[in-house]
Amino acid sequence: MTPPIGMEPSPLPAVPRKGEAARVRILVVAGEGAGGGAVLQNLRQWADDGRLDVEAAPDLPRAVRLLAGQRWDVVLAALGERPDEELAWWVDALRAATGGPRLIAAAQAPSMGLALRAEKLGVLDVLALPLRRDDLMRALERLRSAVGEAAIPLPDVEHHAVGPYALVGQSPAMLDVYKLLARVAASTATVLIQGESGTGKEVVARAVHLHGPKSSGAFVAVNCAAIPENLLESELFGHEKGAFTGAVTRKVGRFEHAAGGTLFLDEIADMSMALQAKILRAVQEREIERVGGTDTIPIDVRLIAATNRDLKEAIKQGRFREDLYYRLAVVTIRLPKLAERGDDLLLLTAFFIRQFAERYGKQITAISDRALELLRGHAWVGNVRELRNVIERGVIVANDDTLRAEHLPDEIRGEESALTDRPQGGLLTLAEAEARHIARVLAHTNGQIGAAAEILGIHRNTLTRKMKEYGL
Amino acid sequence: MSGGGSPLPPVRVEKALELMPELEALAPLRALLISIARPDERALWSSSGPYLTLGKRGVDPDELRRRLPQALHRIAEHVHVLCKTYVEALEARQRSDAAGAVAALVRGGRLEEEVGRFAQARAWYELALGVAEALQDRRPEVEALRALGYLCLRLGQHGEGARQFQRAFALAEAEFDQVGTIAACEGLGDVARVQGEWAGAQAWYGRGLRLAEASGDEGQMGRLERRLGVLARKQGDLATAGDYLRRARERFEAAGRADEMARVLDAQGQLDAQLGRQTAAAAAYREALAWAQRAPRAPGLELSIRLNLAELDLEAGRWLDAEGELRRAEQVAIAANLAGRLAQIYTLMGKLRGAQQDETGFVFFEQAIELARAVERSPAAEAQVYHAYGLFRSRLGQHEEARAYLERARELFDSLGEAVERERVDAELRAMSA
Repeated sequence: MTPPIGMEPSPLPAVPRKGEAARVRILVVAGEGAGGGAVLQNLRQWADDGRLDVEAAPDLPRAVRLLAGQRWDVVLAALGERPDEELAWWVDALRAATGGPRLIAAAQAPSMGLALRAEKLGVLDVLALPLRRDDLMRALERLRSAVGEAAIPLPDVEHHAVGPYALVGQSPAMLDVYKLLARVAASTATVLIQGESGTGKEVVARAVHLHGPKSSGAFVAVNCAAIPENLLESELFGHEKGAFTGAVTRKVGRFEHAAGGTLFLDEIADMSMALQAKILRAVQEREIERVGGTDTIPIDVRLIAATNRDLKEAIKQGRFREDLYYRLAVVTIRLPKLAERGDDLLLLTAFFIRQFAERYGKQITAISDRALELLRGHAWVGNVRELRNVIERGVIVANDDTLRAEHLPDEIRGEESALTDRPQGGLLTLAEAEARHIARVLAHTNGQIGAAAEILGIHRNTLTRKMKEYGL
Repeated sequence: MSGGGSPLPPVRVEKALELMPELEALAPLRALLISIARPDERALWSSSGPYLTLGKRGVDPDELRRRLPQALHRIAEHVHVLCKTYVEALEARQRSDAAGAVAALVRGGRLEEEVGRFAQARAWYELALGVAEALQDRRPEVEALRALGYLCLRLGQHGEGARQFQRAFALAEAEFDQVGTIAACEGLGDVARVQGEWAGAQAWYGRGLRLAEASGDEGQMGRLERRLGVLARKQGDLATAGDYLRRARERFEAAGRADEMARVLDAQGQLDAQLGRQTAAAAAYREALAWAQRAPRAPGLELSIRLNLAELDLEAGRWLDAEGELRRAEQVAIAANLAGRLAQIYTLMGKLRGAQQDETGFVFFEQAIELARAVERSPAAEAQVYHAYGLFRSRLGQHEEARAYLERARELFDSLGEAVERERVDAELRAMSA
């Protein structure tokens, strides 16, 4: 059998008559093992009644072949002996599938760990084998309810262009930032910008530069955390040819590139103490030396530094020089988290939708109420940067004039199922609630047990035991 | 660590590795350290997040301590299997089965190769060869020579590899050992292909295929058809390439060979990409990944497919997708202890940043050079990084630096005898001068 690679997607399912549940096109992938045969048999029995169009594939590779050419609403995959691993492969396989079908995973006695992982990965549901009709219909009902999303027109957004970026927002927290920005920009004072990751420190730094006396000069940004420590010094101060292995040519550093303009040192807390001393000297003496060079080069730059860390705490821990801190923090601008910016979320969302719609040649004029609800309910660890990323991905996959919940990443759609009814009337047992909370904290600490135990206020051994108990 | 005071931050991998002496005995510890390294959660959404490399990941000493028994268990298991293999060789000798002893010794070498201990693998193979040379039956010698040939190829020692395969070919042919002759043809074709000698490679693969067809060995036929398909694609004969790959695919699908299906579809994806059929290429790679999942654990294969998929996204300007795929490949490489392959991943990551005109992308090339030198210890890999680094600098208008990196790449390709690659670099240097 030669696969239909690259064939045109099949049309969307027919629109249901009023009051009639939409038909769901479902691809069942159940091998011989794990009661797979029975799964397919059951689905075929329930098809008419449940308004399902059922087709089958014997395994993941053949399913991927079908998914490449046709549109499906749901893939029901029976997981085998390595359910965690198989689940990850299924999520990966569906990532690029036509029309973004949702995954329902079925497994023999699924563990709580599997269910939580599935939720994090945006899986529509995890069902136990043998499959029960009610469980499946409940999962599909959740999918069907998405059809009723209402479109909200995008509001007009007033923004201030800052080079390739823009300042967007009218929340009281942002108004305070704008006022301070206007006051400090006119001077040449060194500025320290503090705020969590993704709150827009570089955008504010650019705004300070653009509205300041050195705006005719260059704005040069250096990300101190991105550059390996052994290379950062030469990036900043430059080097002479042959100064060290790899110094293949003479290099002019960023301080010199920024002459007459602004040097923005992002993530300054990640700099070594030795380099901090050299920065301090450059700030105090207004001169630098290239690595391996002997000449002193005068510099005329405005310095803006930024960090997402608590520098005072770093000073206490002996990881940041106090004298440098006071040199940098002549004026401090603190940026609010996205969660503190109220309705700015909608304005930013609208701004990004328009920006990316233009970039990708789309006509998107609205967002659905459900999508907006999901965005509002999400914990934006990465603040505006994360929101921008989510919207960009959404715009890429959107296929009509409204950005809907289905266009949001699996992780955010997964949060939807956390809000909806769970089996047994939607009430969780104490153990389920505990397992969910532990899973969330672990996700927040990126799996770092020490940090998670700290947040949970329990000993790490207790946490390890509970993780084992819940299969996390 | 919990209780009073905030927990200490993890130690960066670049710092952690500074504390570890370059001792062979510590290789499993180094591998464990790398495999448990995680990106700092605070850095994921920070402005340095997009530039995160292995060196910037963090390691918690406490976690390393907790995982030590696992690593020690794996080491003990490996040594145990090696000892068992030796006992099998000894038992074979006891019953005067020298061919059995050679087979056991070759198995020992393969076990060492699987965990990346190439010098040790060579010792096993050479021992096997020594025993085999004294036998009347030359088939075990052919087997040992093939194993040595592929090891040489893996280490970039093309000349020595060719000699081993030549000897294997001559012996197998003289002994009417059909299977050995076909396998030697495959090996000789591989050496010629790596050295850019397309006609030679085609001749060897073609000869092997004719022999395989005569013997009706479907597996060898499929493997040789795939190789001929790849070769035809490299030579620009895309129709022939498609024909070979289709035949290989039909053969492997009928036989249910998941690993070979993944390889053929990976090659098909590259062919489709060359033909400008982006959707078909992506579908082929996706299906290749699905087959790789069904194959016996093959993270290297998965990694190759993901890199090709990322390259496809990169060429099409789908930067978000390219980045996502590269990050998944990075995760596979780190978890499967394939740190050497990270050089390829970071080179592509740097290429991606170059396409976005992002100067800070140089950090990926710097990390890739370090990995190619210190972990993969491969001048060929280092040369590839310098080549891409030169193009990155050139794209940013930094011509002096670009020239220096390209010249370094040319020097390395020259020392390896990789004429095709050297010619590519030369052409770019000429274009820069024009």
